[in-house]
Amino acid sequence: MAPKSGKKKSASIPSSVSPTPSQSTTSMKVGTKNNTSKVVVKGPYDDRKTTLRDRIYLTIVFLFAAFIRTYKIYYPTSVVFDEVHFGGFARKYIIGRYFMDVHPPLAKMLFAAVGYLAGYDGEFLFAAIGDDYLEPNVPYVPMRLFPATLGVFVIGLFYLTLRASGCKSGVAFLGAMLLTIENALVTQSRLILLDSPLIFFMALTIYAQKKFEIQSAFSLDWYRYLCLTGLGLGATVSSKWYGLFTIGWVGVLTVWQLWFILGDLRVSAFKFVGHFTARAIGLIAIPIVFYMAMFFISFLCLSNTGDGASFMSPAFQQSLKHAPVIPDSPADIYIGSQISIRHVNTQGGYLHSHDHLYVGGSGQQQVTLYPHRDTNNIWLVENSEIGGTIDDSPLTHIEDGMLIKLKHVTSNRRLHSHDVRPPVTEQDYQNEVSAYGYDGFDGDANDIFKVEIVKSRSAKGPSQDRLRTIESQFQLVHVYSGCVLFSHNVKLPKWAFEQQEVTCVKGPTFENTLWYVETNTHPNLGDDVEKINYKNPSFLSKFVELNKVMWRVNAGLTESHHWESRPESWPLLKRGINFWVKDHRQVYLLGNPIIWWSSSLAIAVYVVFKIFAILRQQRGFKDFQSGNSLSVFDSGVGSFVIGWAFHYFPSFIMERQLFLHHYLCSLYFACLVLTQTFNYLAVRISLPLIKRSLALIFFALSAAAFLWYSPLIYATPWTKSLCEKSKFFDMDFDCNSFLDTYDAYKEYDEAKASEIINGEGLLESNLVEQVQGNVPGAQVIKVVEEPVAEVQNFIEPAVQIVEEIQQGIEGAAKQAQELAQPVAEQVVEAVKPVVEQAQEAAKPVVEQARDAVEPVVEQAQDAIEPVVEQVQETAEKAIEQIQEVIEPVAEQSVEDAKPIIEQAEPIPAPVADREPVTEEFHRSSVVIEVVTSNDAEPVESVPSVKSDVQPLIPEGHIIEPETIQHDEL
Amino acid sequence: MGSTSTPVNLKQRKKVSPSRASTTESKKGAGEADEEKIHSEIINDKKNFKIALIVITVLAFVSRFYRITYPSQVVFDEVHFGKFASYYLQRTYFFDLHPPFAKLMIAAVGYLVGYNGDFKFDNIGESYITNNVPYVAYRSLPAILGSLTVPIVFLTMKESGFSLPASILSACLILFDNAHVGETRLILLDAALIISVALSIYCYVRFSKLRDQVFSYGWWKWLVLTGISLSCVISTKYVGVFTFVTIGLAVSIDLWNLLDIRKGLTLKEFSRHFVARTLALIVLPFCIFLFWFWVHFAILTKSGPGDSFMSPEFQETLGDNILAREAKLINYYDIVTLKHKDLGAFLHSHNYHYPLRYDDGRISSQGQQVTTIKEADISNQWQILPPQDFAEDLRKGVPVSGGQTIRLRHVATDTLLLTHDVASPLISTNQEFTTIPMSQAIEKQKDTLFNIKLINGMVEPLKTKAGLLRLVHESTNVALWTHDVQLPDWAFNQYDVNGNKNTLEASNTWFFDEIIDLDDDRKVWIPKEPKSMPFLKKYFELQKQMFAKNNALTNSHPYASTPITWPFLVRGVSFWANQTDREQIYFIGNYFGWWLEIAAIMFFVGIIVLDQLTRRRNNNVLGNRTRSKIYNTIGFFFVGWGAHYFPFFLMGRQLFLHHYLPAHLIAALITGGMADLVFLELEYLEFNRASLRTNRNKSLIIGVSIFIGALIACFVFFAPLTYGTPGLSIEGIQARQWLDVKLHYSK
Repeated sequence: MAPKSGKKKSASIPSSVSPTPSQSTTSMKVGTKNNTSKVVVKGPYDDRKTTLRDRIYLTIVFLFAAFIRTYKIYYPTSVVFDEVHFGGFARKYIIGRYFMDVHPPLAKMLFAAVGYLAGYDGEFLFAAIGDDYLEPNVPYVPMRLFPATLGVFVIGLFYLTLRASGCKSGVAFLGAMLLTIENALVTQSRLILLDSPLIFFMALTIYAQKKFEIQSAFSLDWYRYLCLTGLGLGATVSSKWYGLFTIGWVGVLTVWQLWFILGDLRVSAFKFVGHFTARAIGLIAIPIVFYMAMFFISFLCLSNTGDGASFMSPAFQQSLKHAPVIPDSPADIYIGSQISIRHVNTQGGYLHSHDHLYVGGSGQQQVTLYPHRDTNNIWLVENSEIGGTIDDSPLTHIEDGMLIKLKHVTSNRRLHSHDVRPPVTEQDYQNEVSAYGYDGFDGDANDIFKVEIVKSRSAKGPSQDRLRTIESQFQLVHVYSGCVLFSHNVKLPKWAFEQQEVTCVKGPTFENTLWYVETNTHPNLGDDVEKINYKNPSFLSKFVELNKVMWRVNAGLTESHHWESRPESWPLLKRGINFWVKDHRQVYLLGNPIIWWSSSLAIAVYVVFKIFAILRQQRGFKDFQSGNSLSVFDSGVGSFVIGWAFHYFPSFIMERQLFLHHYLCSLYFACLVLTQTFNYLAVRISLPLIKRSLALIFFALSAAAFLWYSPLIYATPWTKSLCEKSKFFDMDFDCNSFLDTYDAYKEYDEAKASEIINGEGLLESNLVEQVQGNVPGAQVIKVVEEPVAEVQNFIEPAVQIVEEIQQGIEGAAKQAQELAQPVAEQVVEAVKPVVEQAQEAAKPVVEQARDAVEPVVEQAQDAIEPVVEQVQETAEKAIEQIQEVIEPVAEQSVEDAKPIIEQAEPIPAPVADREPVTEEFHRSSVVIEVVTSNDAEPVESVPSVKSDVQPLIPEGHIIEPETIQHDEL
Repeated sequence: MGSTSTPVNLKQRKKVSPSRASTTESKKGAGEADEEKIHSEIINDKKNFKIALIVITVLAFVSRFYRITYPSQVVFDEVHFGKFASYYLQRTYFFDLHPPFAKLMIAAVGYLVGYNGDFKFDNIGESYITNNVPYVAYRSLPAILGSLTVPIVFLTMKESGFSLPASILSACLILFDNAHVGETRLILLDAALIISVALSIYCYVRFSKLRDQVFSYGWWKWLVLTGISLSCVISTKYVGVFTFVTIGLAVSIDLWNLLDIRKGLTLKEFSRHFVARTLALIVLPFCIFLFWFWVHFAILTKSGPGDSFMSPEFQETLGDNILAREAKLINYYDIVTLKHKDLGAFLHSHNYHYPLRYDDGRISSQGQQVTTIKEADISNQWQILPPQDFAEDLRKGVPVSGGQTIRLRHVATDTLLLTHDVASPLISTNQEFTTIPMSQAIEKQKDTLFNIKLINGMVEPLKTKAGLLRLVHESTNVALWTHDVQLPDWAFNQYDVNGNKNTLEASNTWFFDEIIDLDDDRKVWIPKEPKSMPFLKKYFELQKQMFAKNNALTNSHPYASTPITWPFLVRGVSFWANQTDREQIYFIGNYFGWWLEIAAIMFFVGIIVLDQLTRRRNNNVLGNRTRSKIYNTIGFFFVGWGAHYFPFFLMGRQLFLHHYLPAHLIAALITGGMADLVFLELEYLEFNRASLRTNRNKSLIIGVSIFIGALIACFVFFAPLTYGTPGLSIEGIQARQWLDVKLHYSK
């Protein structure tokens, strides 16, 4: 730890002054600091050192936090909320299949690593919220223990951060205990979600930054904490982009520090450069390198193609294993080449036409962009002269500026544009593009396009002068009207299979007019010509591309979501998020209202105080005497309020969907502010008894609130009435899903346990659960129950009668048997000796014996027959009688029951309580939306891994949105 | 450009003695020998300023009015603003995103020349001549405003204490700017906006010069004038908020300094300052702003194309409104159709049932389908029943009103509308709607009750068309809802209907469209006076709609551009084109001027940063006087430029180059100031003042002359694109395609 001696201290100025918004305060502080260090040999930050007392407090708080965070961590035993995604992503890391997500990779890779070490094999799909973990034996407990552990460390860091920023041990202990029982943080840290790692890394950064501030410049610890801050920043931003705000916070504090160092004339210019450089390396270079390293590892792990590949450029896709192979093509393109043309700026795919006509407009054949390889993407390059054909004349390069026509090979129609508005984008400056003509027709002037190679976007060398596969990017300018072939992320209607619109635009946006040739064949070319294919992209270009895609997709997450909330509601804790509902229990993300509100209040009070103080200062009041409690409070709390603001206010300008958990980082800062406020009060209140009892009261209140809402954290039983009472603001946890009493839970659990033990069809129990799990659903049952009971009442007598009849029949049968038995016995006895005799007499005697037996048997039969007939007759008569009695009754009851049964039997699915959706879940569907309609690539079905060659999809290819989510390959 | 000027620092701050009178005095003290000379120079100066002002104003008018009659066709957004003027003249209600002030002015021109507003400016390129539109009069208004902007800029510079050449440079940056000329000679709002911005700054400069004559007549005059100018900005376009920010920041700093204990003001005196500024700069402008809305509503009394944007209550205040004619009271037992507001589809049912199983395996109730369709159909008819049937003889004439509970009987199949806890066909979280035969009406009565919740929250009799409502199911608390998603073939691709748990969603809004076979006295419509509505209520409703629509303007436009490209003039906007003569109007600025401005701004920022850093190391390069000029005067302009530019980066809506024009105007002030600074002030510090004066003046004059020469050259070069004539050759067009500019007929 830092301070060695007072002398040394005054020689090397503390690297940084705790930044306070008020300049005069700080300069005063600097002055006094030097004074004190001269007079007292004690270093200025000695009271911030970790003492034995701190260690004891830390141990207590660790144990407490560990208990709170791991209590019943095995429950719920099924997938909760976004575990769907982050579990799923961990799975994809383990099986190495490329996917696309808006979050950077670090936290996800950590979950994957934990899962891998715990023996998760990637079999379980994390397909939907509520999927059972126990049956498929998923090591979900270790995977959840990981965020829980980080959650415990967060508490420790919180304590140490407070100590480093001048908080007393006792108050820091109170603060840490409060943070431990903050419901939302507990909920988040018990589940496989990114927020726990994010908050951990952020807390680490804050801690390192605060420690860094109080080290003497250029000491070993100074460097250590500088690097730790940098690593923390890197890790935070590699978990979620939310970490950018943390970077912003550290950045502002750093600039602030540098500003003061610059103003300190005792620091030589040379030293200042040292200060500057060290920070630039520690806080800029290290995070960037760390961030990129995470992507590097991520690319290594995700080496196989997967459902995320379709978001990426063809070159990127080609770099993944098992991607469909695009064959090498001859580099040079000539008149007569058959080429496929791809759009550069969107992932819409290939210039495409097919045997369907535009609805509206010219009514000619459609031209679209289509994402898959297909024979309908093949165009023949013709020269522009009317009637120009390809002959065996020498090969002609397509030079820059050359006029060509493009003939669609399968339909013999040519790429064509004219002064007709396109189907979707109907502006004046847009012209429709169609395929026009027929076999034998030479085409007209509207078929002619000029190839303009864009030199700045083409590979150096010959590709800038003549058209070459992949390497040349070009525009196709419609010669007659001057418009440029164009495509954008606009989907055509269903009649064009929702493929992407292609138009010809005057004055288009440049990027959307760029095309390149992907495949190329020419009948007159031999095999020995120069071939070309996508170059394997470098790590850097992959990194840049992925980040761009992530940004775009992230910005596109604008669809409204049932559980989303806007930032203005967060500090008040107006509404939470429903994570999971099952078995009459639920997990609902909700903060501890006492802590939450008082932390918001603390910030509001500070801001008002600060404004007031600044105004007073302008009027000449001297509130901030150096070292007085107010100025200590001001400097201790200022940077945390800035941190809170940095993590909170940017949300207001974000248009994407936002959730309550986006406030948790700010909450962490708010809790720091709250504890610092307590610290100030603790200084001001002189009586220890009052101090302690106030602290205890506040803690008791918070703990009560924690316990009160803990059923929503741990998914433990709660009663409906308690739940109803507990609602405030817009809280919408579903009280109907709870049972009425705790006893009912016992019964329910016992019933469920016995059901499982008895192995009574899981399906059935699921069905029952579905209905019961939802009380309005149970109403359906009630509605059904009544008629069913009626039917039962009706049927019961009938059943009794039937039973009686059965008994009657049984009795008759028994009687008959009894009657028949002696006869049979007699017969058997009679036969036996004869048989024995016969056997004894053996073969020769057999015939004799037969003769002897036959009459006997006949006699016996004759004797039995009437008896049997009698029995039958009586039985038949009895049955007839019974039937006569039953029939009308049964018929009636059946008929009565029919409509009821018809109505009742298939229990209609009740209304689902909540969409099994979350931010992330939505993403998959949103992405499709965004991608197809707005600004990105249209949906592609995931290419099959097993078959290397993409099957050519016939016409009428409607793209199934499901395919993108489905990764059963 | 006449003789040179003494750099008279008219905008004194803090330590320099402030009033104009004392300025002359201090000058006198500067040197006995120079006294006479300086004196005469100042007089000359004034004379020269006057001459320059006149020349510049004349040139401004010439440049704006040159060939104003051409093209005699509708150009670009004249489509909108011409159209709005016609609506005003015909007093028919319309809806627009911008506040009414500038549009009212344009309409006033039409009114003054006696135009009746028949032409509706439907398409770009329509002829004014054949349609007999007084378009020259219309265009003259922006042209006059645009011309007057130039002398205002000149005077702002003069009053801020800059030299004559610097003032001329600033004025010329606007005078010879193709963008300003192009934008202000057409029927557009920007001319009014820009001149208001310029006036606000000018008035504030005048006001702040009187800081030592507080609460004097002049002080009040310029303060109030600042407020009025500000109100003109905000009443023209909402970007006027940025001008408020500019002035607001300057005022805050001013107040902050007044608050300083060392100023010696008591809190009471300070609050007088505070209240005076609040009244003049916030309350007054807002009142004027509201006044224009009042005029707007007072003029537009007839029903028109903007009706549908407004609430039924609002519409009923308009004459000849369809609603007023067709809104009829609804009684129980009426047979009605129910229409969804957003989708415009009718609630429908038919004798087909939901399939037992849906594709996803869920099971339905197999009840009768309830859907919506957009076509009129006999199966759209529903009868409104009370929860308990009335006695037979009491069934006529009982009005239905909001807040009441009703049942709906489907007339064609004689069934009752019902919803229950069964998942709907498409959305499993929403409830299914179905109908049940009347025979079960009693036993399932609970599920057939719907509460009428009027959107306006009132409990009043329900009317067709006018009464927007939500139909909320009593027992399960879901709202009848439909959306633009079609059901599969089994429901003939009609629209999905279900129960929305979020009952407050705006898309739950329905209204009863018409009463079928109306045969009582409600059938006859007796014309009645349009209703009235409190002005403020009208205003707030309109304001809400304007913001909502403004934010919705996000779709892409080929000529939209991003703010970062504006100062560099990367690309412009094509306004109009005429193929036969290869003529076109392309909105683009004066490249030289714009680049000069951005260079000046960068230079300014560089100086500020350097000054801050060096001062931090106790190294004062700049003198106090120069610093005051840089920080207070140019700094104020810089804040103005930033406030009119940077907020655009946060805007999601589509943006165009012309949004930069106010910022460009302020940047012109910065440029003039920087010219002064570079050629005069920076040298001022290190060298003997007297010996170098002539040289400095020379360098200033030469520098400014070169700049102005380049400005004129560039202006003339691009003039054919600004005035739309003469047509250019292909080479000529290609030569003007700078940066990302794409012109017509370039190939």
